[in-house]
Order: sequence, then structure tokens, then C-alpha cells
Amino acid sequence: MNSTNDTSNRVQLIISAKSSVVGGAVSKWAEIPREQIQARFTDALDYAAGEVFEMMVGTPLAHADQATLPRVVDYTAMIGLAGDLCGVLCFRCSIDSAGKIAARMLGMDECTSAESIRDALGEICNMVAGSFKAQLSDIATQCMLSVPTVVSGKDYELFPLADGLRVQVARSFEEALVWMTLDLHVG
Amino acid sequence: MNALSVLIVDDSSVMRKIVERSLRQAGLEIKEIFEAGNGVEALARMRQTRVDLILSDINMPTMDGLELVRQLQAVENAQGVPIVMVTTEAGEAHVVQALSSGARGYIRKPFSSDQIKERIIPLLQG
Repeated sequence: MNSTNDTSNRVQLIISAKSSVVGGAVSKWAEIPREQIQARFTDALDYAAGEVFEMMVGTPLAHADQATLPRVVDYTAMIGLAGDLCGVLCFRCSIDSAGKIAARMLGMDECTSAESIRDALGEICNMVAGSFKAQLSDIATQCMLSVPTVVSGKDYELFPLADGLRVQVARSFEEALVWMTLDLHVG
Repeated sequence: MNALSVLIVDDSSVMRKIVERSLRQAGLEIKEIFEAGNGVEALARMRQTRVDLILSDINMPTMDGLELVRQLQAVENAQGVPIVMVTTEAGEAHVVQALSSGARGYIRKPFSSDQIKERIIPLLQG
């Protein structure tokens, strides 16, 4: 991952996801029609996020009417996938939601520790990615996860270079939106 | 069942707290919780302390959970202590690798306190 400054001093985080599949073989999922795979991946990501929030945060995610991803969100947790699934999974939320998520996970009324918030969001991202890939074990047998990275701030943009498939799920956590996006390299 | 001393190994302090809370919610009586952030810290702890149960993540910096399980075979205090892996890496290859390294059980993250109970209590009774 590289970070550079553009002329407006906005930090750009460029995430490279260009490595090929293990052994050079074509992933099974790459042969499935795009609409089908988009729907299956969306369902898997939605299920993974729901499972993680229900079990580990103790607050189920709710349906969200508005799903537009804002240009900048306070917190972005990212985890890389390599192998049959090659790309980046991001979990994004506001600072308020991040504090609430960490507090629920720790069993506290509130959490203001930046370290605990980063730790909590990294684990959320890690578990969502793990649950996601577990559901796709029939079409993505070899998939490894990186260590999670958490970015915070008001003035940054993400540019995933996995120029293939984007899957995005927006859900409501305690009446605030959270987003999961998956950018996968195809071919 | 007597109150338990448990070693929880995970590089995430938030996850260590969740595991501890889940053990209590599962109805296990806890005497003492020890925490370690990686395999090296866990080995150092086990050379000093005897516990009743070890719960360990797999993906950790410095020394991962699989290597920890292998190295615990040579630690006297760890002999006979059930080791359960608690991890997002729940693929068949990882499960086989963990069990062949000496782990006695496997719990996939995310988990419920019911799953903790189902997997751990039989190990403690056996």
C-alpha cells in the first residue's frame, strides 16, 4: 500500500491487489457468470457481516435504505485476500460507530481509546473476511488473509487497484451506516 | 468442575476480552485468566505457570499459534493441558494442521458462548 499527497493535501491510499491466483490456475469463480457471482458474493458478505456483529458485537445489523458510500469515512479497516480470491475487503464507519462497536465488544458503556477502537475494527474486518471466504470454500479453496490495517482521519481517499469485481454492502448499526466493500481482481 | 485457570493467546486485546467473557457466559467458573499477545509470550507464561486450558489464535506476529502448539509439547507445565485454537482460519487444511500439531479442538471466529461451551466442556471432562 502506498500513500501520497495530491495537490489538495488529501491523502490517497492506493491499495494494490494485482497478484495472480495460486499456481497460476484460473479460480473456479472466475468462470461463473458475472451476475451470479456478484449476487453470491454480496449475499456472502452480507451474511458474514451480520454473523460477526450478532455474535461478537452483540448488536445485529439492520437493513439500510441509503447505501451510498461517502467519499471519506472516519475509519477504514482493510484486509487483503490472496490466492483464489485476490483483493481487498474494507469495513468503514464513522468515529461514533467505531467507538460504539469497540465498547460493545469490550462490554463497556463507551470506548474512547484509539488503540482499542483500531484493534476492534481490525478484528471485525478480519472476522468478516474469514466468514466470507469460509462460505465460498467450494469455489475458492485457497485463500489467505493479510494482517488487518486500520486508517483513520477526515482527509483521505482509497483507490483499490483490483480492477475487477466490486461488492458493496451497507447496513445500519445503531442507526448509523456502516459499509463493507470487497474489491476483487479478476483473471 | 473446579474453577479454571485459563491462558488466552491472541494479538488482539479486544479479542482476548471477548474470549474471557464468552467463557464466563458459557457457565465456566474462572479462577484466573492469563493473557499473551503471541506464541513467545505464551511459552514464557507456560514455563512459569500451570493452567487448565489454553485458547489460542493462529495468525499472530512473532510466533503463530501452530508453532506455539508444537513448542508446548516440550513444556512440562503444558503436558495434558487441552489446547483449543480460536481463529478465523477455519479451512480444512488449517484444522488438520492444528490438530496434528497437538491442538485438541477448534473454534471458528465469530463464535457464540454456546459454541465455546460445546467445544470446551467435553475436553475438560475428558
